[in-house]
Amino acid sequence: MARMKFLCDADRCIECNACVTACKNEHEVPWGINRRRVVTINDGKPGERSISMACMHCTDAPCAAVCPTSCFYTTADAVVLHDKDTCIGCGYCFYACPFGAPQYPRVGNFGGRGKMDKCTYCAGGPQQDNTRVEYTQYGSNRLAEGKLPLCAEMCSTKALLAGDGEMIATIYRERVQRRGYGSGAWGWRTAYRENITT
Amino acid sequence: MLIKRSDGVRAKQRLASAYQGLSAGGLDRRGFLKQAGLAGAGVAALAGIAPRMAEAAGAATGVINHEQPVTRVKNICTHCSVGCTVVAEVQNGVWVGQEPAWESPINRGTHCAKGASVRELVHGDRRIKFPMKLVGGQWQRMSWDAAMSEIGEKMMEIRQKSGPDSVFLLGSAKFSNEGAYLYRKFAAFWGTNSVDHQARICHSTTVAGVANTWGYGAQTNSYNDIRNSKTMIIMGGNPAEAHPVSLQHVLSGKETNRANLIVIDPRYTRTAAHATDYVRIRPGTDIPIIWGMLWHIFQNGWEDKEFIRQRVHGMEDVRAEVAKWTPQEVERVTGVPGAQLRAVAEKFATQKPSTLIWCMGATQKTVGTANVRAYSILLLATGNVGKEGTGANIFRGHCNVQGASDFGLDVATLPAYYGIDENAWRHWSRVWGVSFESMRARFDTPQMMHTPGIPTTRYFDAILLPKDQVQQRDNTKGMIVFGHGGNTVTRMPEAVKGLEALELLVVADPHPTTFAVLSGRRENTYLLPIATQFECNGSRTSSNRSVQWCSKVVDPIFESRTDYRVIYDLAKSLDAAATKRNMTYRIAEEMFRPYEIVNGEPTAESILGEINRGAWGTGYSGISAARLKLHQQHQDKFDLVTLRAGANAPAEIRGDYYGLPWPCWGTPEMRHPGSHILYNTNIAVKDGGGSFRPRFGLERNGQTLLAEGSWSKDSDIQDGYPEFTVAVLKRLGWFDELTAAEKASIAQVGGANQDAVSWMTDLSGGIQRVAIAHGCSPFGNGKARANAWNLPDPIPVHREPIYTTRNDLIAQFPTLPDRRGFRLPHLGQSVQARSPQLAAEFPIILTSGRLVEYEGGGEETRSNKWLAELQQDMFVEINPRDAAARNIRDGSWVWVMGPESNSRARVKALVTERVGPGVAFMPFHFAGWFQGTDQRSKYPQGTDPIVLGESVNAVTSYGYDPVTFMQETKVTICQIRAA
Amino acid sequence: MKRLILAPFLVLLLALSAPVFAQPAPGGQARGQVSAEEMEMQRLLQGGRVEGRTSIPDPRSEVLIQPQGKAWRDFHNVTLAWVGGIAVGGMALILIAFYATRGRITIEGGPAGRTISRFNLLERANHWMVASSFIVLGLTGLNLTFGRHILLPIIGPYAFANVSLWGKIAHNFVAFPFTLGIVVMLLLWVKDNIPNGRDIEWFKMGGGLIGKGHPKAGRFNGGQKMVFWITVLGGGIVAASGYFLIFPFWGEFGVADMQLAHIIHSILSVLMVAAMIAHIYIGSVGMEGAFDAMGSGEVDLNWAKEHHGLWVEEEMAKARQVVAPSGVKPAE
Repeated sequence: MARMKFLCDADRCIECNACVTACKNEHEVPWGINRRRVVTINDGKPGERSISMACMHCTDAPCAAVCPTSCFYTTADAVVLHDKDTCIGCGYCFYACPFGAPQYPRVGNFGGRGKMDKCTYCAGGPQQDNTRVEYTQYGSNRLAEGKLPLCAEMCSTKALLAGDGEMIATIYRERVQRRGYGSGAWGWRTAYRENITT
Repeated sequence: MLIKRSDGVRAKQRLASAYQGLSAGGLDRRGFLKQAGLAGAGVAALAGIAPRMAEAAGAATGVINHEQPVTRVKNICTHCSVGCTVVAEVQNGVWVGQEPAWESPINRGTHCAKGASVRELVHGDRRIKFPMKLVGGQWQRMSWDAAMSEIGEKMMEIRQKSGPDSVFLLGSAKFSNEGAYLYRKFAAFWGTNSVDHQARICHSTTVAGVANTWGYGAQTNSYNDIRNSKTMIIMGGNPAEAHPVSLQHVLSGKETNRANLIVIDPRYTRTAAHATDYVRIRPGTDIPIIWGMLWHIFQNGWEDKEFIRQRVHGMEDVRAEVAKWTPQEVERVTGVPGAQLRAVAEKFATQKPSTLIWCMGATQKTVGTANVRAYSILLLATGNVGKEGTGANIFRGHCNVQGASDFGLDVATLPAYYGIDENAWRHWSRVWGVSFESMRARFDTPQMMHTPGIPTTRYFDAILLPKDQVQQRDNTKGMIVFGHGGNTVTRMPEAVKGLEALELLVVADPHPTTFAVLSGRRENTYLLPIATQFECNGSRTSSNRSVQWCSKVVDPIFESRTDYRVIYDLAKSLDAAATKRNMTYRIAEEMFRPYEIVNGEPTAESILGEINRGAWGTGYSGISAARLKLHQQHQDKFDLVTLRAGANAPAEIRGDYYGLPWPCWGTPEMRHPGSHILYNTNIAVKDGGGSFRPRFGLERNGQTLLAEGSWSKDSDIQDGYPEFTVAVLKRLGWFDELTAAEKASIAQVGGANQDAVSWMTDLSGGIQRVAIAHGCSPFGNGKARANAWNLPDPIPVHREPIYTTRNDLIAQFPTLPDRRGFRLPHLGQSVQARSPQLAAEFPIILTSGRLVEYEGGGEETRSNKWLAELQQDMFVEINPRDAAARNIRDGSWVWVMGPESNSRARVKALVTERVGPGVAFMPFHFAGWFQGTDQRSKYPQGTDPIVLGESVNAVTSYGYDPVTFMQETKVTICQIRAA
Repeated sequence: MKRLILAPFLVLLLALSAPVFAQPAPGGQARGQVSAEEMEMQRLLQGGRVEGRTSIPDPRSEVLIQPQGKAWRDFHNVTLAWVGGIAVGGMALILIAFYATRGRITIEGGPAGRTISRFNLLERANHWMVASSFIVLGLTGLNLTFGRHILLPIIGPYAFANVSLWGKIAHNFVAFPFTLGIVVMLLLWVKDNIPNGRDIEWFKMGGGLIGKGHPKAGRFNGGQKMVFWITVLGGGIVAASGYFLIFPFWGEFGVADMQLAHIIHSILSVLMVAAMIAHIYIGSVGMEGAFDAMGSGEVDLNWAKEHHGLWVEEEMAKARQVVAPSGVKPAE
């Protein structure tokens, strides 16, 4: 099976936010929940870089490790998903996540957290694939249709790559070789405990 | 330090709660219908398991029933001019999903934030849902019939009292080509030239500048062709935010060719972050920069001498001006060190092919046309025009601003740049099947037919100035606005007064726009719900002149109607009003006779058919709906770099360039492939080649204006030649190559003076056919003009902005003296005289520009919940040094004060080094707050955009380009204080 | 500014990441040379974060990578589990062992049969409000840390999720009576709980367990004072940190503050749970006569004399005063 990963080529990312709205559009993610976001470091200075970030679907995912209800599971494609029916919105995954991926709707009493929502790698959730139930809870399930996450598919400069880790690393390496520079894959050390050597 | 603590201080609560509160009432019709039918069991079952289950999705308009078939419809993104294909998945008449359009050679599946969220537009719960009017300051619902008849009555009243020129018809770059053409034709039948659109305020100076240089006012190459460049200069543009998908081609070019990407801009933009070289200039000093580069180029002999000799007129005059711009002088004026500019100049002139990319940083200036001319001259001097990887890659703004320009939504021309002289009117009268005399009778006086109208930058001056200063019968009294924001034009405090003085204001748009709320109007104001281009068929022309067919995704939502229908109905209601008044004036029958009417509206195909029969001058004649639909169907057959359909393509498109980029000569049957690269002599004209267009005579001061020793490949005339007319054909002995039918058509057009019938007026296309058969450009083979003697500055010279912080330079580089143009006074030096007195009070230069999430006036995008969330506050970028001096914290409220009308705007501070010290930047998409007041309550209920904010144009100031009345938005002065 | 101060503190507190505070690489790297790997590594070692700017008005979204998540994870899964396990389990074991060896502590002279009023209704009601809240909070809290390993396998994921979800809601709501009780407790009893010299004596004698005879004590003895201060101070801090967690990301606080708040909250809580187990033991099965103090409020006089001799004397004196109010000469 493939080992699905994200890779953001920061030398290509222009913070156009297509990934963000593509995600919103595909899954109808409500206001206030950002499954994906673009962060610009060194804003306005030489060395400015933008990086699109979402759940990286980590190896040995911290969210799964700390979840009090064990609501996380990893699919055969190494996508880290969770079951909203067993999530209690405690927020622990947000404390543990290196990438700020878990999002919580503000619900009820004191603006407390509702059930956690995060990037599903466009792979839905534990419900039956591509049913309305799955859509309303997790959004669409593109992986089940043989498609990749829409954020990467719609990336304006093809900076955001999604797919099997080996394949996207190869694409990235070739790109770096062709152009002669590359600042590396953001988050890979943290998420996958590996770097892309070029 | 990376960690910037104060970054996060923003009011997250305010907006989120505003959003929730307001959206509660909004109902998405389609989502509602869909959910009512399908939701039932599933959601109910879920609710039983635990509280609040279905959190991920909102209205869930995106649920696809995977057991039912899904229709894929192709349309084009309605935001910028790149022309990204949008693939819509439609089920039961509901747009349920967007998929990547992999097969499009332009965007290859990708989008920016706007393109990836267009589905929201046709679910838009903040659209205008039905026609409305203001009654005593309150919005009241009304029927379409009542609205059209009231508007017709009022227009006719104005016509009777003040003449047709007192109605200002503002069109839109959001129209399809057919809509734009129809609106221009409507203006002609109404009897005025006061018809304009967004091009006035984005690239009118580009069109004027490049058309005066080499013939046509358009991007010479294409986004895709930038992949061939070895050096790219982006000057006065931020495509990473304004045209994100173009960066795909720019960055690919940069990577594959290891190309130089040089960004010259006052602001360290998102584009600059990816540059190999970044040059920060003082705003408003483009010409000194270009001349400074040329100084090094001439000094070192890096210019392309052969190219200049063969194809350029007047470069010697440029040398004289350039000689003044020594590195020391350039640094004094622009702040750019000589060595840096030398390096940039060397790369541009020697590491070829080089292209120059520009946007509104160049054009929106009092010297806009001159800037564009200087840029063009730099390209000419280095021989970077008419080849792959070169050219003036002008990135235009709106999705169809190119097409709307081409079809004459302009105060000085009929469709296809024919102008408004008698020949032009006679040509279009023939195309329309009406007599020239009947058209002339529609105007107030015969002279007004040939008088350029009121441009959109000055409409309020035409309303407010004393009658004797406006060169028409009466002031402007009524305004019909299609698809245009009210916050896009400078001097908004004066626009408010103007709008309040209008007798009639009609806003026809999917959204209320700023026009609906800006002023204190209480009566005679109408809102008409218009369908977006996703709800109608038509073609649109992207920046690279490729024309793409857009198929209707869904039927118009709510009570919206298409532009075609509304223009048709308006014409009919005018007729009714005229009948009532016993006037002989009629419009609908004659104007719409040529079209096929289906469901009460003319079809796009039949309108395009008429365009094909008339727009010979820009080569829209070969671009038929049938050909465009084939291109849409076989998008995947076009090459990514050359845009050409290769050997594997079906025969009916083989060899075509994608979207038949104009000029696409002759009739559709001639199957000209379109012209990917303009003025390209390396390929035959029949393959899309060309030459510079001799538009300005054959000779000047004893020098020929025809090319010398340069001609397009396979040309039978191996030298320069003038445009083709019957007389030229006869002299060449090619006249008899015309068919009998063609000759008959020419005889009918020419009447007594057949010899004067040209490639532009020949309705048979025969002249073009014969010229191309001989490998010749129908418009001739001339020289580009480095010296454009008909412009106010034949050789561009530096002129300080009207309001400048460098008042020491005004004496040496003054703006133009006061003059008149476009029926109005045009002040220059008399306003600039104020600048020195204001220097102490307004020490910061204010410039403006785009954000990626929003577009234009922003009403549509600020109503899109997926986009609005990403930019929730209007802001001003201010340098940390200036902020510290004013005790301004990042994220805090500030007042930005402009130099005129005591204008001020309350916005948030974004403290950043993107702008240099002494420079501030504001995005131009915001509206709904004015001088510190929130105008949300003035919107009709449920139509207020999610995000409101102050408009930058509330504080921008006077200043117009002398050639096109382009407004100055890029350089004014301001003061910023903590609020 | 807050987060800047707290972030390194968190790392210091736990000493979990390697104690290598590498110097940042010399600044002024050439453009285009911001290496992702380098920066991630550097931040990890520094205990810092990779942060930038986003247009979304949510400071959380501006953190690109926060390596402290790893530290927090280690705290939650390792440190807290061990500390909590040892504290709670250990205390239980100690008490069982104590009970086994020493048995129930009886009143030395046997019950006197006469009682003395020790706690009034308000005091008792407040005590039980705090106590019952604490039990709910403690159990639901422990469930978040240990339930996954103990309860989940028994009752299955969906039942467990429901228990935990309602537990979370209960935890959030019950926090309010608990906090109120703590405040009332402080007001009612603080004057009797000021530590003094006798408490040292009391502790030296192990509260009467070491050597002969009982140390003198006032209304509250040293042990009880300790429980009081653990409850008031510990409970106060736990409550404060808890509210911080209930209202996530209030004001300018970020994820580092949340992590720190959680660490303080959870560590103090398990320690308090351990302490309260001891308190419950001694107040119920562990000691004859002790429960009455919070039960009926009337305690056996002998028990009172034994554990709170000074207080009994004071009360007696007061009672005499009441019997013979000042101004009225006693008839001698």
